[in-house]
Amino acid sequence: MINKEVEKLLLKVQKPGRYVGGELNEVIKNKKDVDVRFAFCFPDTYEVGMSHLGMKILYGLFNKVPYIWCERVFAPWIDMEELMIKHNIPLYALESGDPISDFDFIGFTLQYELSFSNMLNMLKLGNIPIKSSDRTELKNIVCAGGPCACNPEPIADFVDLFFIGEGEEVDLEVIELYRKCRKEGKSKQEFLQLAAQIEGVYVPSLYDVEYNEDGTIKSFTPNCDAPAVIHKRLMLQMDDVYYPENFVVPNIEIVHDRAVQEIFRGCIRGCRFCQAGFIYRPVREKSPEVIDEQCHILCNNTGYDEVSLSSLSSSDYSQIVPLLEKLTEWSKDEKVSISLPSLRVDGFTDEIMNKIKTVRKSGLTFAPEAGSQRMRDVINKNVEESELLKTCATAFDGGWTTVKLYFMIGLPTETYDDVADIANLGQKVVDTYYQCPNKPKGKSVRVTVSASCFVPKPFTPFQWEPQDTREVFASKQQKIKDSITTRKIQFNYHDASTSYLEAVFARGDRKLCKAMELACERGFHFDGWGDCFDLDKWLEIFEECGIDPTFYANRRRSFDEILPWDHIDYGVTKNYLLKECQKAYNNTTTPHCRLKCSNCGAAKYGKGVCFEKRKNMV
Amino acid sequence: MKNARIWFKKDFECRYISHLDLNRCMLRALHKSRIPIWHTEGFNPHPFATFPLPLSLGFRGVNECMDIKLEDDDYSFEEIISSLNNCLPRGLRVFKVTDPIMKAGKIAFARFTIKIGDNRTSSKLICEQINDLLSQETIEIEKKTKKGTLKTVDIKHAVKNYEIKEMFDYAQLDITLSAGSTDNVNPNLLISSLFQKFDVEYEVDITRNELFNSDMEIFR
Repeated sequence: MINKEVEKLLLKVQKPGRYVGGELNEVIKNKKDVDVRFAFCFPDTYEVGMSHLGMKILYGLFNKVPYIWCERVFAPWIDMEELMIKHNIPLYALESGDPISDFDFIGFTLQYELSFSNMLNMLKLGNIPIKSSDRTELKNIVCAGGPCACNPEPIADFVDLFFIGEGEEVDLEVIELYRKCRKEGKSKQEFLQLAAQIEGVYVPSLYDVEYNEDGTIKSFTPNCDAPAVIHKRLMLQMDDVYYPENFVVPNIEIVHDRAVQEIFRGCIRGCRFCQAGFIYRPVREKSPEVIDEQCHILCNNTGYDEVSLSSLSSSDYSQIVPLLEKLTEWSKDEKVSISLPSLRVDGFTDEIMNKIKTVRKSGLTFAPEAGSQRMRDVINKNVEESELLKTCATAFDGGWTTVKLYFMIGLPTETYDDVADIANLGQKVVDTYYQCPNKPKGKSVRVTVSASCFVPKPFTPFQWEPQDTREVFASKQQKIKDSITTRKIQFNYHDASTSYLEAVFARGDRKLCKAMELACERGFHFDGWGDCFDLDKWLEIFEECGIDPTFYANRRRSFDEILPWDHIDYGVTKNYLLKECQKAYNNTTTPHCRLKCSNCGAAKYGKGVCFEKRKNMV
Repeated sequence: MKNARIWFKKDFECRYISHLDLNRCMLRALHKSRIPIWHTEGFNPHPFATFPLPLSLGFRGVNECMDIKLEDDDYSFEEIISSLNNCLPRGLRVFKVTDPIMKAGKIAFARFTIKIGDNRTSSKLICEQINDLLSQETIEIEKKTKKGTLKTVDIKHAVKNYEIKEMFDYAQLDITLSAGSTDNVNPNLLISSLFQKFDVEYEVDITRNELFNSDMEIFR
């Protein structure tokens, strides 16, 4: 529904299709027929948010419940935001066009730290007090989930409750509790205290933090019977987990404009820099039959002619070849192409290549992450240079001429020689092309080398590590540039300032809330976008608040320090992370879950890869 | 193989999608509906659809059309209407499928209904302003060329006929303008010259009603 006042603005902004809803498969209910209205907010633009799988799953799941109406809300781009403020139009949900202040829940998914400012800005645009303590009634419950909820502390003052882990069950339990509390006339405080008893719910206002003089945490104490440790929730029977038969199909082009089919959760690898590799443990797969069926239904219902298989590392799916065989049985006739993102260097076999090639040829991207073997051992990216070159040769033989390689700089123990090896590896890929007997005739090779700046994250073995300073990042980038001698390699990199801010928030504590509040007051938004991001303005705020950002980004933490996220349990023990960190210092790798269990702690859930029969045991 | 001209309305939320997005929406709906549309041949086959005259973003269209080729000669036009409507967002509605009679290149004129007004200005005054503008000998506007430079062109010659009506809270201009591949005049150009001339800004609502050939026969 487009509100009359909104309609007047639409022709004055870019891409007005972002602000109107009305897409195929959008869910419209009568608000009189529902008890709970949930505003699902994605703190970025429509095109980014509509590409997010988690939102599609929860949107479908919530709306299946007759008494819930879940609607979508996105951050208006700066041109629309300006007009909305000027014309006094509060932020609204796309389905009903109602302002978000009409909603029982205002839920955010936090995919990246730099969207924190957008979350607060969206509340502000919805005329909702940003601080939890200023919202006293049992309505407009602000909740949040997603990977950045694993360290909720920098936004603890604003969010009433966090969902820790996977949301399919816990979200509904909390919504049901709210509905009951409303009926019984309970207060918001009573509701929050009861919610805190649900596993996977973290209510930050029920905890007190005390600090040492050096700024580190002295103690973290629960009140009102709230649990001392909050355990994540996760789905164990993947074949039974709800999966949408329908996606809302956008009328305008979005970032990932295709059907998406989840194939498993978690990752067996344990790359030491990767948060997702730890917080989603253990690996839990869907069966090929279920994937095939869900995928087929989804393509039929949306009309997409492309489906992407989603996971953290698709070639690690244990039955990838049988799955691709099943899918190609119908996909070819129905002119649907299958794309396999997140392929590992060692997972790109002839068999897989031929399957994806039958329909359409896309670019190839691999992520060796580091240039030297020593560095790859440190981060536990168990990929050998010879494997990468072999894979590239396979691809060149198969007709590909462009390869993208992703790297990180600023990894723990990294030297300038390690950095130079990034360029050297790119060169070796170029050389491989020219040594390939079956390379495409008369074509040149193009290797794109991208190096991003490493941000140490909570719940990884590198959670205690300092981030490189911006100066060091800049000189490492220069080192790569100087080491590239051919024009067949294109080097992509970004200024380190966004990674720096990301590092501050990723491992921040509650003291940062003050800065967030000030940032909201000053209208900060879209920090993840080059058009809006200004590190200097953030540094000004930190200074005014007496916050030293290097304390969060560039400080080496001692192993016995209480970390801001220590009260949250993602299944992987702190002791395991510590051991992994020490192994990293010794350049020692850890085998992946299917080769050998390394006792990370995730086996306590009693399902998944931890209980698969290992090949070497049979 | 047979040709089909699919007639549809573009309104509500879908008013705000671009021509490129409309194209994408239509192709996705055609794919979903399993209508046996002809695909291009070659390395990367894709469903083939053309639009005789694209509609600007923001305009309503009540007689829009798209041409496709069907692989199955026996596939009924009636079936296309229902199966396509099941697969389209509510802002796009198919109401008729016909054999294409005229070639797309024959389009020479388009008729628009333009509602102009706001709650501060009397519709009588707006009618007078429109009349003033359209009575000029020439209506010169600055147009961006493909090279990015500005050039002045006269759009008065493109006005085939018009009628101005004073409504309760807006002025209504029904106007026929040159359209098609040779001389296309977007009514937005007229609106901006109106705004410029009187230094005003009103709310504008534009509907494209009908297309014509050079003999003013309705495009079929």
